[in-house]
Parts: sequence; C-alpha cells; structure tokens
Amino acid sequence: MPLVDLKRVRYQYEDSSSYALDEIDLTIEPGEYVLLAGASGSGKSTLCRLFNGLIPHFHGGRLNGRVIVDGLDTQTHRVVDLFAHVGMVFQNPAAQLFNSTVEREIAFGLESLGLAPDEIARRIRWALETTGLAALYDRPPNTLSGGEQQTVALAAILALRPRLLVLDEPFTNLDPQAIERIRAILQTVHGTGTTVLVAEHRLHASLQDATRLVILHNGRIVSDGPPREVLQEDLSPFRLNTPFVVRLAKKAGVYPVPLSVDEAIAAGLGTDGMLGSPVAVLPTATSSGSPAVVELRDLTFVRDGRPVLQNINLAVHAGECVAFVGKNGSGKTTLLKHLNGLYRPTSGMVTVLGKDTRRERVGDLAKRVGLVFQNPNDQLFKANVRDEIEAGPRALRALDRPWIDHLISEFGLAHLLDRSPFNLSEGEKKRVAFSAALATHPSIFVLDEPTTGQDGSFRQALSRLLSNLRKQGFTVILATHDLEFAECVAPRWIALSAGQIVAHGSPDEVMRNTSAVERAALRPTARFLLRQSTRSHPAPLTTSLSAKRSQVQ
Amino acid sequence: MNVPLDPRTKLALAVAFTAALVSTSNLGMLITATAIVCLLVIVLGHVRRWLSALRTLVPMTLFVFVVMSFTFDLPSALGAALRLAAVATAFFLFFQSTAPEDLADALQKMGAPYVFAFILTTAMQFVPVLTRQMQDIMDAQRARGIRLEYDLASLPNYPALFAPLLIQSFTLADHLAEAMEARGFGAPHRTFQKEYALRLQDYATIVLALAFVIISWQIK
Repeated sequence: MPLVDLKRVRYQYEDSSSYALDEIDLTIEPGEYVLLAGASGSGKSTLCRLFNGLIPHFHGGRLNGRVIVDGLDTQTHRVVDLFAHVGMVFQNPAAQLFNSTVEREIAFGLESLGLAPDEIARRIRWALETTGLAALYDRPPNTLSGGEQQTVALAAILALRPRLLVLDEPFTNLDPQAIERIRAILQTVHGTGTTVLVAEHRLHASLQDATRLVILHNGRIVSDGPPREVLQEDLSPFRLNTPFVVRLAKKAGVYPVPLSVDEAIAAGLGTDGMLGSPVAVLPTATSSGSPAVVELRDLTFVRDGRPVLQNINLAVHAGECVAFVGKNGSGKTTLLKHLNGLYRPTSGMVTVLGKDTRRERVGDLAKRVGLVFQNPNDQLFKANVRDEIEAGPRALRALDRPWIDHLISEFGLAHLLDRSPFNLSEGEKKRVAFSAALATHPSIFVLDEPTTGQDGSFRQALSRLLSNLRKQGFTVILATHDLEFAECVAPRWIALSAGQIVAHGSPDEVMRNTSAVERAALRPTARFLLRQSTRSHPAPLTTSLSAKRSQVQ
Repeated sequence: MNVPLDPRTKLALAVAFTAALVSTSNLGMLITATAIVCLLVIVLGHVRRWLSALRTLVPMTLFVFVVMSFTFDLPSALGAALRLAAVATAFFLFFQSTAPEDLADALQKMGAPYVFAFILTTAMQFVPVLTRQMQDIMDAQRARGIRLEYDLASLPNYPALFAPLLIQSFTLADHLAEAMEARGFGAPHRTFQKEYALRLQDYATIVLALAFVIISWQIK
C-alpha cells in the first residue's frame, strides 16, 4: 500500500480565485526519498501542507480530490491525528521553536502523543544522539545558530518516529556547513526506513540522495521520475536552480547527466574549455587605478565583551565588486553595518568616500551607501510600491524622480507601482528593497545575502543587474555564503572566519587556499573543482574565447 | 543551583511571602525578610543576574521611597521601599529557579486551562526573538535614510518601525501556530515529561511558609 496517495487534488486558498494546486495525482511508496522541486509560487509549500492535514484544517480554503496518508483520509482526520504519521519541518527555524530548552522542545511532541515519562526520556536521548545535539540539550533554542535551531526542529520531529518526514525548504536560511549536517541526518533516517520528502527550489543539497525528483510548476506536476531522467528533460520554463554540473552537461550534450562534481570529472566534463570565465568581464579597478571609496583600517568591533571583528584592513576601489564569504556568524553582516555607520568601530577606522563614519550620521551616509539586508519584510511599511521606494529620499528631502523612474524600469517594477508591497512575492519584495536602497542615489551598493530563498530566475536577473550597475560606475559590496553566485559577480573575495580575514584574492586564489577554506567552512564551487581537475590539460586559447561567449551562467 | 521543590511549592512560597510582607509594617520584620531573600540570591547563585535586575529595581524603590516620605512619614516610606524590594526579589528568585514550562504545568495542575498556562509561558520565549527583530527593522530603515533615534524628531517616522514589526509578528504567530499543530498541540491525552508530586520537603516548606505568614500577622 502506498504511504501517500493523492487523487485529482485541487486546492484554492480562502481568499484566492486561482488554484494553488491543480489536478495533482501522486503516490509515494514507503522508503522513497522524494525531492519536490519548483520555483517560488509553484505550490511546493501548499503540497507539503496537504500531507499532515494543515490543509484544509488549519488554512481552510477549498480542497477537492482525495488525500490518503498512511491509510488515513486527511479530510476526516485532523492534524492532531496525523502529526505522528507525518512529521513536518518548516523553513524558518526560529518560528517553529517555542520551548525554553532543546530538551523541552523535543519533549513537546512526545507529550502530545501521551507517552509515559520514561519512554519520553528514552526518545529524547535517541533524538539528541541521532542529530548530534547532546551537548546543547539544556540550551534555550533562541540562543542557538540558525543551523542548530533547524537541527533542533528536525530532532523534535524525528523523536515522534513519523513514517513520512516532510521538510519545506529546510535549507533556505542555512550555510553550507549546516546544510551538510542536516543532509547527513536525513541520509541516516532514510537509511533506517523513513520516507523522506524535501521541498526545495535549489536542488544541490538533496539531489544526490533523492530516489525521485518531482517538479511542480504553477500548481501542477510537470515531471516525475528518477532524478537523472527528469534532469535530462528541458526544465528551463520551470525557473529551477539546477547544479552547475547539470547545466554544463546539458550544454555539452553529455548524457546521462552527472549529479556531482566527481561524476562530472569522470564524464570528462570541463576539459574542452567551456567552463569559461565565471565573472562578467568588466574593466576591473585595481589598487593602482581608481581611488579607494571604502577603507577599513585596523577595524575591531567588540560586542558584549566579545570581539566580533578583529583587525580588518581593506580598501575597496570605485567600480569594484567585492564579496565577503564565510559561514553564518563569521562577522559578515557586522562588517557590512560598519559601511554606513550603523555600527562604529570599537577601535580602528572606517572611511567611506573620505568621510570617517564615526563623525557621520547614518542618514548622511545613506546618501552615499545603499545597504539592503537579507529580509525585505524588515523594511516594507508603505501602502504602495512607489511610496515604499520613495520613503528614503523623502525622509532625506532628496527626492530625484528621474533617477527613481530609472530604477523602476531597471528592476522591472513598473507594473507593480500601485500594488501593496506586502502582497508581492518574495522575489518582487526583494527587488523593491533593492530599489529603495538605491533610491537615495548612493554610489556604493551593499547587499547582505542577496540570493537567500530566491529561485533560479531571480539569481540570473540579479547577476545581470549588478553588472549593469557596475557599468554605470557603482561599487558593489556583498556578503554571501552562496559561492556559486559570488563567483559569477565578484572578481575579488574576502574570506572571513571568527571576525578575521583568513584569505583575500580572486575566487580561485581564495578557494585554492586550503587552510582558509577549512577555517571559513567554504565549499569550493563546482566550476573551480572542475577547473582544478583539468589543470594539467589547459584549454587552447581559441576555444576558451568562444566558450566565454557561450559560458554557462 | 537547582531548588528540589515542586513548582507549585515555589509558587506558594512566593505568594505566602508577599502576603506576609503586605500584612506587616514592622520594620524589623521587613528587614529580616529582605535579608532572607538577599541571602537566598547569594546561596542559589543568582548574584550576577540579580545585579542587572537591580538596574530597574533600585530606581523604582527609590521613587516609592521619595513619594512615600513626602506623603507619609519616614518609617512608612522605608517600610514600603523594603517591601517592594523584598517582594520583587522573591519573584525574581521564583522565575530564576522555575522553567516556564514548569510554571505552566504547575498552573495547570492547580486547575488553570492548558491553553492559558501555555500562552502565558510561551510568550516569554519570544521576547528575545522580537527584540532582535525590532533591531533588524531599525537597521534596515536607518540604512535607507529614515531617522529612527530615541528622540522627538524621529517620532513621525515610527510607523516605519511598527508596521513591519506588527506584520512580522503576525506572520511569526501564524508560522508558530502551524509548527505547534504539527507537533500535536491540543492533543486530548497529553502527558508530562516530568511527573509532579508533592514530597515531604514540599509539605515542610509550605508549613514553614504558613507559619511565617501567621507570625507576620501577629506582630503587624
């Protein structure tokens, strides 16, 4: 008997006139590992919420068709009857933990099950061991890192021993190190017989483990099968974020497509010079060329008696694009906040366009530095998109209409101007936030984790946009743990670890520095690894030139 | 240090202590009570946290003292200030030595509805989360030139802080509710990880607390 059996499922949210899910037929057998892929708004999260009855019991709306999970019809069984059969882990780690310690967090679901105290204790011990959280058992979850929090959320679900484990974009807010940790736990539980379903638009993390790839587009299943077979098809209309090696293989016509770098090397990929140059070729400023627009001299920042940044020395020149890379908590965001005076150095100095940030007001620096943070919802507050974009310049009494109209067309927001920013998709919100940061006409654009939670089409649009801005003379500084993206936009990388610079140079130089790679927990990109593997056979000059033109973005 | 008492006993102790102090105005008694709780702070190892709690407690106590000494006399002002300091410290000790879930369980054992007890204690977990959220929003708005300082000139800009904060709080509440449902919130036969039973030391403590209340009544 299949574990999941969906027949002709259609679903409409309460206040919506269109179908979030349309004619879904899906059966999942015990022991499968399903990767459910689809761009933002494709219906992944909605589908996930069918399995444990959150739809229709929590969200309401109109559900047609039949949903049977572990033999239970979700129309007649409530979430409280289903939660032990279908465990669900959500995207935002902080918004799913509500107890005072890790141990209590794991206990909560077990108490709901009505288990006896000694069985609860036994299961807590098992969950802590399986997830490697034993040392953190008495810590309050809100003091843990995002990766640790997501692991706690997973442990709290695993302790329930569900037959089906559903994870809705579990990797979105995590750095590569944390992703690997969760991935390993999933491999273990799948290995012991649990059926796993991971919904993601970024395929990298689970592709090699999944036994089946299901692609969702506009609420319909458009492809379903073993990952290698599905990837062979033309998936370009579905705006997925496929791994570099897959794109490379398809471009080169190599089938079956490789799922990992090792497979790509074995298939002989990357030897014909088609790797190209990752960074859009632009006249890059060097230290001798244009003047420094940002200078950090011996920057040290101490918070709560703990040094968050230590002795940072760096100069960024006009027209450059520089990326800070490193894991979450390495000090990247703290460093960015020094560039517009939100933070002031404890010792040392930060100068922006010749001005010492200690003597400048944040508002004045905002005219020179446009800084945009990871979560666009932190700033949206106006009734429509145009007002939202103009809020900054109005507050500074420096409204420049032609410039704002230019931004609106650059970011493709013209058709959204009268809409409420709260009702936009996450990608659209992000574009509004970018325009708002640039609306004060700064010359330095600073971005914190710009690609988090964004699908493939957004990443391509953003990398085009950043190269346009650089052509217009902007200096771009970003912080990210998304090295594939950093490699595409930034010719210069600075690797941070524990608040210190551990490597500095071109992407290749940084990734070749093995001690820095280890300290900053970097995961070298597929393109770099392929190039390394073929270094003994350098590509002829002529082919690498033509490859540049057809380079895989 | 952990106090090996049932959360209900601890709650009874804090309430009895308050009742005793409210019913007496004997300065010797108040000084003794204050000395006892201060000693407990040291014995139980909460000195550092208590010192930081004093930053709010001391100004409040001084305020009460000043107001009372103008409206009444010096002894009643001193009494009121001591009473406030002692009761606040007693409840500080209670919250330091009782996990929120234990408090919820205790309230429920005493007949409070589960949902009420749960909401009361869960809300406390989200104070640091929302504080961080507020800081992020202020940073994001200030970064684009919207002035948000703690001054009058910033006042008209405060919707830029409160609107995102409110909307994100609603989203957070919604996500939280989903996560709680997914872990069986409201299940009909909930058990408890810890079993609570009043033991000998609990009964002894409650008897002592009652004796303390009666003594303080006697010597007013």
